Amino acid sequence: MDIALIGNPNTGKTSLFNNLTGSYEYVGNWSGVTVEKKVGQFKNKKDKLIDLPGIYSLNPLSKDEGVVTQFLLSEHVDKMINILDASQLERNLHLTIQLLEYGKPVVIGLNMVDVALKRGLQIEPNHLSNQIGIPLTPVIARTGKGCDLLAEAVTSERMSEPNARIVNYGIEIEEAILRFEQLLDNKSSRSARWLALQMFEGNQYVKKYVKNYIESEKLDQFLVEIKDTVKRSTGVSIDQFIFQKRKETIDQIMADAYIKREQIKTPLSEKIDAIVTNKILGLPIFFLLMYLMFMLTFDWLGFPLSDLLDAFITGTLSNTIENLLNAAGASAFIHSLILDGIVAGVGGVLVFVPQIFILFFFISLLEDSGYMARVALVMDRLMEAVGLNGKAFIPMMIGFGCNVPGIMAARTIETPKERLLTILLTPLMSCSARLPVYALFVGAFFVQQKAFIVLSLYILGIVVALVLAKLFSSTILKGETSFFVIELPPYRLPQFQALWRSTWDKGKGFVKKAGTFIFAGSVFIWLLSYIGPGGTDVALDDSYLAAIGGFIAPLFEPIGFNTWQAGASLITGFLAKEAIISTMNIIYFAPDEASLQGLLSDYFTPLAGYSFMVFILLYIPCLATVATIYKETGSKKWTAFSMGYALIIAYLLALIIYQGGRLLGFM
Amino acid sequence: MLGKLKKGEKCRILDISRIDLLVRRRLLDLGITEGTEVCIKCYMPFGGPIMVESCGQCIGIRRVEAVQIEVERL
Ligand SMILES: Nc1nc2c(ncn2[C@@H]2O[C@H](COP(=O)(O)OP(=O)(O)O)[C@@H](O)[C@H]2O)c(=O)[nH]1
Ligand SMILES: [Mg+2]
Repeated sequence: MDIALIGNPNTGKTSLFNNLTGSYEYVGNWSGVTVEKKVGQFKNKKDKLIDLPGIYSLNPLSKDEGVVTQFLLSEHVDKMINILDASQLERNLHLTIQLLEYGKPVVIGLNMVDVALKRGLQIEPNHLSNQIGIPLTPVIARTGKGCDLLAEAVTSERMSEPNARIVNYGIEIEEAILRFEQLLDNKSSRSARWLALQMFEGNQYVKKYVKNYIESEKLDQFLVEIKDTVKRSTGVSIDQFIFQKRKETIDQIMADAYIKREQIKTPLSEKIDAIVTNKILGLPIFFLLMYLMFMLTFDWLGFPLSDLLDAFITGTLSNTIENLLNAAGASAFIHSLILDGIVAGVGGVLVFVPQIFILFFFISLLEDSGYMARVALVMDRLMEAVGLNGKAFIPMMIGFGCNVPGIMAARTIETPKERLLTILLTPLMSCSARLPVYALFVGAFFVQQKAFIVLSLYILGIVVALVLAKLFSSTILKGETSFFVIELPPYRLPQFQALWRSTWDKGKGFVKKAGTFIFAGSVFIWLLSYIGPGGTDVALDDSYLAAIGGFIAPLFEPIGFNTWQAGASLITGFLAKEAIISTMNIIYFAPDEASLQGLLSDYFTPLAGYSFMVFILLYIPCLATVATIYKETGSKKWTAFSMGYALIIAYLLALIIYQGGRLLGFM
Repeated sequence: MLGKLKKGEKCRILDISRIDLLVRRRLLDLGITEGTEVCIKCYMPFGGPIMVESCGQCIGIRRVEAVQIEVERL
């Protein structure tokens, strides 16, 4: 059986999904965490559960919401679990009504009963269930309480059809529905009542679907007629009228379900909000939090941990491998491949795992606590000034971890123009794969001001993104109104387990990439450095790698690094940013990070080093990001544009920094 | 108008029909419509968005939209 999980954003769908299926999807406390459908298996191993993005109504405004409507139109579903936030019942029930109209059996999971109780809301599950006319199970998705009962209720064989006529829309609309049924003539397997009502509300996805069965002109004429009729007889537009009718029904349900309300004192959430979204303190608090995050990642905690790991990999681990190789009598070729290629390349990247995990931990903390949506609110004024809205800041923050999910998160932005702009600019956010490059270079050249230099790069990325947003939105992406309405979920104390899982979830990609992509890349790069036009085991400067890198290197003369080594690592950096580190480790034959840093100062001046970091920050989105941009925009033109503009901006800025720095007398 | 109230004041919404259709749809989604009681939580600086609360739920909207919402003070 295919069972779909549907509910408003942030009501705990993913938490419930994880509990019912025993898997770990990504949970967060802001609207739009889940942007695609995810399929899992129930613990009974028979039925499938499908997690979908959160929606307020089946008539979508943004692309992630469209996923659900499209799903209901085109895919098979046997039953649905509708998850309701008990503390926001009225609002949630609008969706429930639409699901009932869809006509498939629905079971309600009443979630957040703990929150509702704290707010002084007492809900009697049996009464509510009777009023709506379908089974209902109270759950606490976060802890798993009640989830077994819900699983039982939904996977049981017997289940009656829901009452699709829970709302009576009055004579005009009800008659129109009957007429539509005749027009459709059983050609679609979806409920005609549901299709009709969705179209009346203006649901474009449904209209497009219905046009497969009914002639376009005939349908349009039918819709115009009913819209006119309703407007004339009620004085309001048809979508408003439908909304009102549903609201009346909901008010009736709420009144009959004996829901008790008590007045209680100000919830903690509002007290916190009084501080973090404070008129004066809001922005400073945000910057302070960012500063703490960077200091912990780069200075106080991350650096020492990375050093320890480095010592382990280049010391104990390398020695053990060397001894093993000697004992096995490996050839010089194998010896060099493993130690100079794989250990140097993969190990050089793995060293940064602690820092990357710390960064991901903070991003998860921001997401799960509910602060993310506040950041969007606090940032909206600034973003509006550059032609975006505050919501665009969330993908950018996520982009600090990895650009790929950042770009996906842009789906929650309702207006196509702002969404496209966000997709194009998110790659400028310095993702965690760029972090090893900075760590290496600041270690070599800027030991005293480590965190400050890295922070300057992150800020540069943001500033460039804002300036370009202004530029693009007033030139190539003009027009279209901006739009900003955001739901601010109550703060929730993140659970340690959930935090750890989402940190691990994000971080494991990095580790996995080191074991696959970087591994293969290291072998390949090592081979290129081992062979050359003159045969195998050539001097490094005569290798193919030197030839390839040397070919493009002169281009970088004006920005300070005309060496084939830099050229070669920039090419591999397109595949994955951390491959730059692997390449350098292999090229410079450095046994460990410290000696690589020593070597670097022979090839770069500090100024050239900074120019190199700026170039790395901006020059091109990595391969995976490019693929995501293409998938999300569906346009070759914009994908090419995202690479092209980045290259130009990177070169320009590096040029200004290097040449300007030299004029000012820096080295 | 909603955008003209002071922080901490409560009001009831009378008319939202003047706002842009998209914004109105989103407000309806969030349960904000004629008859809803809301309370102003705070104003962001430099003419930024305002935060309002209704039924224990906080929402951020821009000031341009807020001034198009007719309300009565409670
Ligand atoms: N207090 C409480 N919090 C919950 C409950 N269920 C989920 N949450 C929290 O609500 C937030 C949103 O959960 P998530 O599963 O991502 O919701 P989704 O957006 O619907 O997928 C997370 O911070 C969860 O920890 C619950 O029953 N009680
Ligand atoms: Mg989710």
